[in-house]
Amino acid sequence: MIRLAAVVAALCLASTPALAEPGRSSLALTFETGTDAGVVMVALYDSAAAYDGGQPVRTARVELAEGARDAAFDDLPAGDYAAKTFHDVDGDGAMGRNPFGMPTEPFAFTNNAVGNMGPASWDRARVAVDGAVAQTIVLR
Amino acid sequence: MIPSRRAFLLGAAALSAAVATPETVRALAALEATADWALATADLERDVAPRAMRRVHGRVPDGLEGTLFRNGPGKFRRPGGSATHWFDGDGLMRAFRIREGEASLEARFADTAKRRHETALDAVVTPGFGTAGDARAQVGGPDDANAANTAVLPLGDAVWALWEGGSPVAMDASDLTTRGVVTLRDDLKGMPFQAHPRIDPDGTIWNIGLAGDRMIVWRLNADGTLRSADVVRLPRASYMHDFTASARHLVVVLQPWVFDRDTMPFMTRFAWKPELGTEVMVIDKADVTRTRIFELPAFSYFHLGDAWEDGSGGIRFDVAAASDVRFALEGARVLVEQRGTVPGDPATLSLVTLHADGRAEFVSSGVTAEFPKANPRLAGSTRRLTSHVAGETGGRPLPTGLAVQDWETGRSDVFDFGDRQIMEEAVWVPKPGLHGEADAWLVAPSINLDEGVTELHAFEAGRVADGPVVSWRADVALPAGFHGAWAT
Repeated sequence: MIRLAAVVAALCLASTPALAEPGRSSLALTFETGTDAGVVMVALYDSAAAYDGGQPVRTARVELAEGARDAAFDDLPAGDYAAKTFHDVDGDGAMGRNPFGMPTEPFAFTNNAVGNMGPASWDRARVAVDGAVAQTIVLR
Repeated sequence: MIPSRRAFLLGAAALSAAVATPETVRALAALEATADWALATADLERDVAPRAMRRVHGRVPDGLEGTLFRNGPGKFRRPGGSATHWFDGDGLMRAFRIREGEASLEARFADTAKRRHETALDAVVTPGFGTAGDARAQVGGPDDANAANTAVLPLGDAVWALWEGGSPVAMDASDLTTRGVVTLRDDLKGMPFQAHPRIDPDGTIWNIGLAGDRMIVWRLNADGTLRSADVVRLPRASYMHDFTASARHLVVVLQPWVFDRDTMPFMTRFAWKPELGTEVMVIDKADVTRTRIFELPAFSYFHLGDAWEDGSGGIRFDVAAASDVRFALEGARVLVEQRGTVPGDPATLSLVTLHADGRAEFVSSGVTAEFPKANPRLAGSTRRLTSHVAGETGGRPLPTGLAVQDWETGRSDVFDFGDRQIMEEAVWVPKPGLHGEADAWLVAPSINLDEGVTELHAFEAGRVADGPVVSWRADVALPAGFHGAWAT
C-alpha cells in the first residue's frame, strides 16, 4: 500500500562524501534508540539535490554497543543540512526489509521529521546550522 | 452532527427574526436534507465510559454470557479537514458485555499514530482507502496510516483492532486501553494483516495480507503467536477485503477490480474490468505452494462466508456479491456525507461451488445481504446456514433487518425492524452444551433512530423471524460498526 522501498534505497549510505570547505559551525546528533544493540548509520546532506539522491557531505557510524550515542559533525560551513539515519539493529550493514520491501529497522530524519508515504522531505528535515546546533533524534 | 445542526437552527431562527438571507435559506435547506440514517456515520467526540444498558424487550436466555467486541469508524470530521469515505474514520472499539442477565456498553478509540497526529492538527490529513489526505500527513510506514477501524480478533486478555493495510493494534480486553501495534516477528514488521482472519475449530488462525499480486499467508496459534508466514504469488493484483477457508483449503477470490496505477487514495489504484471475470485461487493449507485456479463470471464483493468441502470433492462458500464497485467508490462517500442516494444495487447472497472437475458455479439467492456469517463451531465444515444483514434497498443505504439463509431448503428466515432501525452485523454465539448448527444465538446491535440510541439484540439462530428474544437499550448512540467477534 505504501511504498517505502524508496526510503531503503535512499538510506544506503554512500561512502565518498563530497568535498566541502571547512567551516566553524557544527551539528551534533544524539540518538535515543529502543535497544543498545547495533549501530546507527548517519548520512548528512547539504542541499535538496544531494538529499534527494546525491552524495552525502558527511557520514557517521554510531557504535551503540560501545556506548556511543552521538554523531558530531564539526567544522561545517554555515548553511542548511538534513540527515537520514537508520538503526542497524542486527549489525548486518543494511536496512532490514520485510517481504514486501518495507523497512523493519528504525529510521529517522533530522527534526524527527516524518514523510508522507516516503522519506521525510528536505523541507521537513532541513536544519539551519550556524554555530553549534544540537538535536536529539528518536529511532524506535 | 446533531449538536451542530441544532445550534445552527437556533442561530438561524434568531437571524430570521431580523432577516432571512438567501444564503441562510439555502444552508437550512441543505441541513434539512440530512438523511434520517445520519446517526450511522455521526462523529463520536470522546470515549464512552462503561454504562448499563436497559432491558426493553424479552428476557435473557440462560447461558448467554460473554462479550461482543465490535470495531468500526467513530470519528470522520475535524475542523481542518475530514475523512470523505466510510472506511477512513478512526477505529472505535466497542464492548457489549452480557453478564448475569445484565448488559453493559463501553467504547474507546484505538490510540493510533494517525489519530494522535490528526487530533494535534484538528484535521484529518492522512491518506486512506478513499480519503485523499493532504500534505500535512505524516506517514513513515503503513502503520502511521493505520485507522485500526475494521474488525476485531479477541485473544485472551487482549483484543486486536484489525485494519487492512497494516498491523493489528492490540487493546486491553478488560478496559479497551491501547497497548500498541503488534509485530508478529521482527522481520515481518509492518506486513499487512487483513481484517477477516478465519479460525479453524482447533483455534488455528489464518489470515492474509496483500501487496499487488503478492499475498502473505499468516498462520497463528490460538494464542496469537506466529506459526508460519509464507508469501504466495497471485494470478492478478486484485483488491480483496476478505478470503475464506474450508477445512483443507484457503480460498482467495480475485474480483476484476485490479491494480491500474500507482496513486492515492488507495481505491483509486484499481480499475473495474468486468471483462476479466472473477478468478478464484484455492490454496492447500498443508502446502501453500499447491494452488488451483477456477473461473467465474464478474462480480464484486467485500465479504465471503465460511467455505466447506462438499461430498463430491468440491468446495462451496457464500459471498455477498454486487454487480460493480460503485458502493466502494461512491456509496461509502455518500454515507459520510449523510445525504443522498447510494448508487447501484445492494449486494445479494450468492453461493459459489468449485467442482472437482475444475468447473465453477455461481448461483444468486436474490436475497439482499451483507456481512455473511456462520456458526463458528462448523468453521470449514459442511453447513447449511448463513446469517446476514438484510433489508437494504437501492433507495436507502444500510440494512434494517437480519436473516438466516438455509442453502439446503432455499428458505430465508427474515426479521425486519423497518426503516427506524439500522441493523449491524450479527455474530453467532453457540449455546453451551448444544451442538446443532442452529443451536446458537445471533447477537447484534442496531441504532434505534427514533430513540437516537444504540440497542443490543439476541435472536434465536433457528427462528430469526420471531424477532429478538431479548433487547437492551443504551443511553447513547454509537455510529454503525463494521465487524464484531464474541469472546466468553
